[in-house]
Amino acid sequence: MRKIGDKILAGYSGLMYVFLYAPILIMVVFSFNDSRLLAVWRGLSVRWYESLFADPAVWRAFYNSIWVASLTAGVSMVLGTMTAFVLVRYNFRGKTLLDSAMYFPVVVPEITEALSLLLFYVFTGIPLGGLTVAIGHIAFAISYALIVIRARLVGFDRSVEEAAKSLGANELRSFFHVTLPIILPGVIAGGLLAFTVSYDDFIKTAFTAGPGFQTLPLRIYAMASRGGVSPQLNALATITLLVSLALAFVRLRLSKA
Amino acid sequence: MTFNYYIEFFNSVVPWVFARSLLMAFATTLACLVLGYPMAYYIAVKSGRRKETLMLLVIIPFWVSFLLRTYALMTILDVNGIINVTLSSLGVITKPLGLMYNPQAVLLGMVYNYLPFMILPLYASMEKLDKSLLEASGSLGAGPIRSFLHVTLPLTRSGIGAGSILVFVPAVGEFIIPQLLGGTESFMIGNLIWTLFLKARNLWFGSAVSIILIALVILMVGLYMKYITKGEEMTI
Repeated sequence: MRKIGDKILAGYSGLMYVFLYAPILIMVVFSFNDSRLLAVWRGLSVRWYESLFADPAVWRAFYNSIWVASLTAGVSMVLGTMTAFVLVRYNFRGKTLLDSAMYFPVVVPEITEALSLLLFYVFTGIPLGGLTVAIGHIAFAISYALIVIRARLVGFDRSVEEAAKSLGANELRSFFHVTLPIILPGVIAGGLLAFTVSYDDFIKTAFTAGPGFQTLPLRIYAMASRGGVSPQLNALATITLLVSLALAFVRLRLSKA
Repeated sequence: MTFNYYIEFFNSVVPWVFARSLLMAFATTLACLVLGYPMAYYIAVKSGRRKETLMLLVIIPFWVSFLLRTYALMTILDVNGIINVTLSSLGVITKPLGLMYNPQAVLLGMVYNYLPFMILPLYASMEKLDKSLLEASGSLGAGPIRSFLHVTLPLTRSGIGAGSILVFVPAVGEFIIPQLLGGTESFMIGNLIWTLFLKARNLWFGSAVSIILIALVILMVGLYMKYITKGEEMTI
């Protein structure tokens, strides 16, 4: 009786794993299909990747995605480290408020974040474009970076810092030569998470990009909602997917470092 | 200061859009719970490397954005997608099935995307479950169903609570899934806010709608924590 129950459970879970992975695998496999029709298999080919690489609009979207995500990661790393430091090491008035405010972006529905950004730009009269997208991404990615960096800083052994100071290093020197090298894996992991949050973002970008600026998710969305499925779009989605997965695996490695 | 935009809200079709979104989010949460619970249990009772691998396989889809995963579903459900092409080449159907642009497709897309959000906290609460309690209830004569209802289920309540909130809150405001997989019958709050802001440029009414959305989400989560999880600490 127990044995049968276990088998049913194993079979069921197997099916659920198939459910989670089959669509993504099918999307990837059919991006290598040598046919104009998405689901009619005609043999292996990279023609859709070639046509993708020949499209300047795709390159521009890729370039935009990368520079926005890099800027977001860089700024989030610096500000996230500073905020983590303040929250872990110091006590001050309003600390609890700042602490909970930093978690706000993680729990608020994304569409609300997006429209609050748009309202902000409308009121301040800042023209929409790449920079407004980056500012919006930074505003929310800091929280994600902070969570990761903070976890690293909490587990930090302060006696090495004290040792550096007793040997004559000032605050700044002990930070850059002792503290930073030790928490660096956390800082980089936080930056990578900020990069991913920005690179994958669709809703905030769509609200704050204005008409002339396109990132990879915006391009994928435009193609999917206008033309439906196509092998070329499968190829673009596959490339975007590989970048996301590569970033995540590096993050996983760093978190174990 | 004016409340006109809130009055306009109640005089329009918008309350129906809200009702539909809540219903869809509720159905998604329930489906994820029912589908995810056995799977989380299956992983939690395994041990060592096997458990790690099975859990990693649940986490990997997290790393792929909703947009990509929803598009991946489209390659299966579309008129030119795998199901329709396969069935018509086998001669089972003569004209393509309309698998997309209906509420069922949206629900499928929601469950597909949100399932890992449910499994993770469920798994975390089951991991902590003391297995000897199950053995004790078994040796005292309780059958597997009775043990489950009186031991396992109450002890994993914190995971159920956390998972439900992690699914329900973003699901109410979901935009991409109903936009790509749904039709007019599955127009949700997210789509409404999108249309008001980006198409109609009606920022004021759009803001009113989103304030009501936030208030509603807070209210639902508060009620849920009071009556279902009974204020217990949640594990995420």
